[in-house]
Amino acid sequence: MLLTTSVGSLPKPDYLLTARREARQGNITQDALRQLEEKATRYWVEFQDKLGIDIIVDGEQYRGDMAAYFGEHLDGFATSGLVRSYGNRYYRKPIVIGPIKRPAPITVGWWQFAQSLTTRPVKGMLTGPYTIMDWSFNEHYSSRRDVALAVADVLHEEAVDLERAGATYIQVDEPAVSTRPEELELAIEALGRVTQGLKAKTITHICYGDFTTIYPKMLELPVDQIDLELKNRNFELLALFRKHPFTKELGCGVVDVHSHRIESVEEAVEGLERVLEVIPPERVYVDPDCGLKTRSVEEAEQKLRIVVEAAQRVKANLGKRHATGPRSR
Amino acid sequence: MHTTVIGSYPKVAEEAYGTTVIGAINRWQKKALSDQELERVFQDVTQQVIAEQESLGLDIITDGQIRWEDLVTSVVSQWSNIEINGLTRYFNNNVYYRKPIITGKPQRKAQRLVDQFTVARSVVKRATLKAVLPGPYTVAQLAEDRAFRNDGFFLQEIAQLLRQEAEALQHAGATVIQIDEPALAFGQPKSREVLSALHMVVDNVQAAKVLQIYFGPPQLPIEALLDAEIDGVGLDFVEAPQLVETIQRLKWPKDKGLGVGCMDARNTKVERPAALKQLWRRLASVVAPEQLYVSPNCGLEFLPHDRVVTKLTTLVSAAREFAKECLPCS
Repeated sequence: MLLTTSVGSLPKPDYLLTARREARQGNITQDALRQLEEKATRYWVEFQDKLGIDIIVDGEQYRGDMAAYFGEHLDGFATSGLVRSYGNRYYRKPIVIGPIKRPAPITVGWWQFAQSLTTRPVKGMLTGPYTIMDWSFNEHYSSRRDVALAVADVLHEEAVDLERAGATYIQVDEPAVSTRPEELELAIEALGRVTQGLKAKTITHICYGDFTTIYPKMLELPVDQIDLELKNRNFELLALFRKHPFTKELGCGVVDVHSHRIESVEEAVEGLERVLEVIPPERVYVDPDCGLKTRSVEEAEQKLRIVVEAAQRVKANLGKRHATGPRSR
Repeated sequence: MHTTVIGSYPKVAEEAYGTTVIGAINRWQKKALSDQELERVFQDVTQQVIAEQESLGLDIITDGQIRWEDLVTSVVSQWSNIEINGLTRYFNNNVYYRKPIITGKPQRKAQRLVDQFTVARSVVKRATLKAVLPGPYTVAQLAEDRAFRNDGFFLQEIAQLLRQEAEALQHAGATVIQIDEPALAFGQPKSREVLSALHMVVDNVQAAKVLQIYFGPPQLPIEALLDAEIDGVGLDFVEAPQLVETIQRLKWPKDKGLGVGCMDARNTKVERPAALKQLWRRLASVVAPEQLYVSPNCGLEFLPHDRVVTKLTTLVSAAREFAKECLPCS
């Protein structure tokens, strides 16, 4: 109950950021870069392990953009020239130019590496088919649906390989799912193709959007758990859950990933306790709102500490209430 | 038939005018570049963007909105009692804008838009330079009202401010003013409120006034839009191809322009000239060719620069062929 985890990405240390830049310019070899990615992954796995986080992530030290990463490793994708995402930030967007195929497993090697460093379970981390479709240009398939389903099929192969390798938690992120509420049915269908037949616990993470337009329909997303950014919306989503019960497990963000401010434990405890008024603790997992990659290493560590301490404190409070509360016998 | 663009143009072009904007903004944010130095970079890129649009052969161009982060911030940040808040998704795009919060009765206190227009106009050689403003309904939808607490007042208040912008742009020499209302493609806008706010913005403006709606079909009847006292309506035929049948069923007024957003500015796949010409032919059966303004369906900043050039080249050459082949259409 109240198991702790994180949503996926963790910040890259300075030496890795420098190395990635050097590798792009051809100044260091891919092997040299890989060694530093392993070093950073080892650091983050050990950090989470020591902190007592229940379900570990590898921190995605070897990934750039979460959708483009998969495009880079799949057949049928090319990369565009620079486009702006917001403010002064630019990225290269994947372009679907041919049939989408998976020439080899993409994330399984990294999952095995991370799992070899800890006895706690490491989550398999994939970006969802709807999101990869929405975040790519399409020059090959005749519809958005065809792209999403083609991506779903290769992601299913990847999920099966992760499960065979031993993953007991597989998260398939769909941050784009609220972009076009009229396409929610497609997102459900595509995610269903990915998770079909898996025995691992399946999770999806959704963020940044108007949930009022997709709730409660989004409960049909075929996963065991939906992970949501509750903190940065000041737990407003709970009002929706009161009106229509949240029927799945909830991954509950209790610290904001877009703010430099480090929340107090009390603040996170208070948020979590509000959640428990609506959803029983057996169905609640505790984590930050979203991937922490935009924070500094120190900020990310502090925020993860708050997550763990808040979960422990709330668990202790529940125990006390159980012993002395009105319902105890 | 005329060729045009809707608004934004890529701020960076690796294979043309470069990526200087990125570094300049970074240095300016770190206070290593002065406001004037940053403005010089913007002006330089704007000049190249204008020259490029002219050399591609477009009839009506924009300044590319190189200084704009999004459709609303540049305009509303000239007003008092506005706070610019956190990132919010921009309609159905994987793109974010900063939500303006209106905390009190706003007043126009700067005229940066007019200055930008004037600078741009001084470097245009041949084409018509169109001024672009966000429409009152879209600003009201994208902003948050903490001052009026009344949707009707809020919309009118914004319309009054936009009216000042429109009149100032006209005063600065704008002969075409495009009012962007992408928000009309979503939700359930009420025709009467939308049009009364629009009229408030434009009723003193003699420049040609165009209402531009994109990201989907208008969620109010086209007939209502045709009743508006404006000179043209621009629609998104990429997201809403069914609009062709709607238009064909209408009696299109002789004095109204139809903006035909027919190239997908949100996908890199380049349209086939034959498909473009087929669409135009269908529209030309009910709208006089000189009233057709063909363009991408929305601003071009969602595309990498190389594809923008390919798309606009295709658009202009198809339009020229169409003019030759299709004179008898009218």
